[in-house]
Amino acid sequence: MGHVLSARSVVSAAVLACLLAWMPCDAQAQTTWRFGGFGTVAAAHSTEHQGDYTVNPNSPGRAGYSRDWAFDVDSRAGVQMDVQIDKRWSAVAQVTQEKSVENSYKTYLTWANIKFQATPDLSLRAGRIALPLFVAADYRKVGYALPWLRAPVELYSLIPISNSDGIDASYRWHAGNVKHETTISLGRATARLNKDVLGKARAIVGITDSATIGALTLRFTAAQTLLVVPGAEALFDGLRSFGPPGQALADRYDIAKRHVRVYSAAVNYDTGDWFVIGESGRINTSSLLGDQTASYLSTGYRFGNVAPYVTYARLVANLRTHTAGLPLDGLPPEAAAVAGVLNDTLNFQLRQIGVQDTASVGVRWDIAPNIALKAQVDRVTPRGGSIGTLINVQPGFRSGHAFSVVSLGMDFVF
Amino acid sequence: MNRLLRTLFLRPRLILALALSSGAVEAADLAVIVSARSPVVTLRPDQVVEIFLSQSNRFPDGTEAVAVDLSLGSALRDEFYGKVARRSPALMKAHWSRLIFTGRGQPPAEVDSNAAMRKLIADNPGMIGYVDRVALDASVRAVLIVR
Repeated sequence: MGHVLSARSVVSAAVLACLLAWMPCDAQAQTTWRFGGFGTVAAAHSTEHQGDYTVNPNSPGRAGYSRDWAFDVDSRAGVQMDVQIDKRWSAVAQVTQEKSVENSYKTYLTWANIKFQATPDLSLRAGRIALPLFVAADYRKVGYALPWLRAPVELYSLIPISNSDGIDASYRWHAGNVKHETTISLGRATARLNKDVLGKARAIVGITDSATIGALTLRFTAAQTLLVVPGAEALFDGLRSFGPPGQALADRYDIAKRHVRVYSAAVNYDTGDWFVIGESGRINTSSLLGDQTASYLSTGYRFGNVAPYVTYARLVANLRTHTAGLPLDGLPPEAAAVAGVLNDTLNFQLRQIGVQDTASVGVRWDIAPNIALKAQVDRVTPRGGSIGTLINVQPGFRSGHAFSVVSLGMDFVF
Repeated sequence: MNRLLRTLFLRPRLILALALSSGAVEAADLAVIVSARSPVVTLRPDQVVEIFLSQSNRFPDGTEAVAVDLSLGSALRDEFYGKVARRSPALMKAHWSRLIFTGRGQPPAEVDSNAAMRKLIADNPGMIGYVDRVALDASVRAVLIVR
């Protein structure tokens, strides 16, 4: 209900802005409404039974441990309403139905914003807007728009937020034969970091430039936010009570208030008949939440309506995922016991920082103008003692062992 | 004045292109058109593509450009995107899905016939469309011939 109300209020705000005549509203201008949607129905099977394979921990899929075949890894749906008020003003609202951390499907207000096309090259938006941290960050949920069954999980599972409440400005410009689109975003968001940790991303500042020369597109992004995460005071206050070594550990790993920096670079070459896409992204939280870099390289060929592809993806940690922790030598027995628990907690959390690689092969088959069938097989290897991108990991899990994921899906748009 | 000179200067080249292309009378050569009143004289395929894919909203001379499509599923439309943008109908659908569902753009308005396209383009100097070459007349100017 709340979603419907907020979607409505955005539209009326746009109409109001027009009536207030910041821009003269052309009497002839016709308001046009458009309704559309997208969805994916897919099933995934994993041979790793000691954990669940998922695309994103915030939308937990259950393939492997909980289910033999899981429909909740990739299945979702979204609907969108667009209104073009006049030549310059438009508004959009989108809701998606997705798996939530409460393990049920839930409706989310993905975007709701007003756009003002100031000139043919400059557009300004306000409201809930897409945060284009990575190439497919803002459309990864629209399966039909992807060449793959899903965007590579090594990179795309790192994204705790895909939209922000704020403003952005996009400017198109030419430099010789190179077309650029530069976007600057400012905003704030609620960031779900995993099942148990909910944070606030304040003062999000991002800049993205995408440069196109013929079939080649290069893209660079840098973004920063102040991430505020309550709830871990006991751990870090506990560490600080152990003098200088504890102080140093707490300063190194504290998650209460940290600057998170995101960088990414991508290259995409698409002739229409075949494509190569490569991307690398780093999210550094400067804390116990990790500092990871993920990269992938993918290529595919289009034989008419059938487009097979291969992808290799890799996720690495840029910090050690184990710490010696507090020195226990010379501590009285009770203090040593507390220090031991704190060390174990630190190391347990560090092991949650995934290291993993995946080799995938798949095919997209466009069977109808609005429908694509997809099949994909992944060979996934969590490494370095980590659980990779798995969730619900059981005591019998062993890192370093490859497992397979088989997925079949159908994407549609209307 | 400048415009007029340029038009006069470049027109022979266009006539030549049309003359050369008239040899092969295969089905559905298509012409990318602007209004006869538009200052735009000729466009390269990549310049046409960036306007139709919403990567640019301007003609090379800086004036605003609005693309118009034939209706979805029409053979001429599929031929236009296949030859000029090297994209299948499914790839175009995926392209627009990326823009629409991120709130970044909407596909061009559509008309359902060559005649309707020609009339709309003729009446609006800021617009650009495409028609079957046999549908060309003096109200519009072919800025690119696609064979």
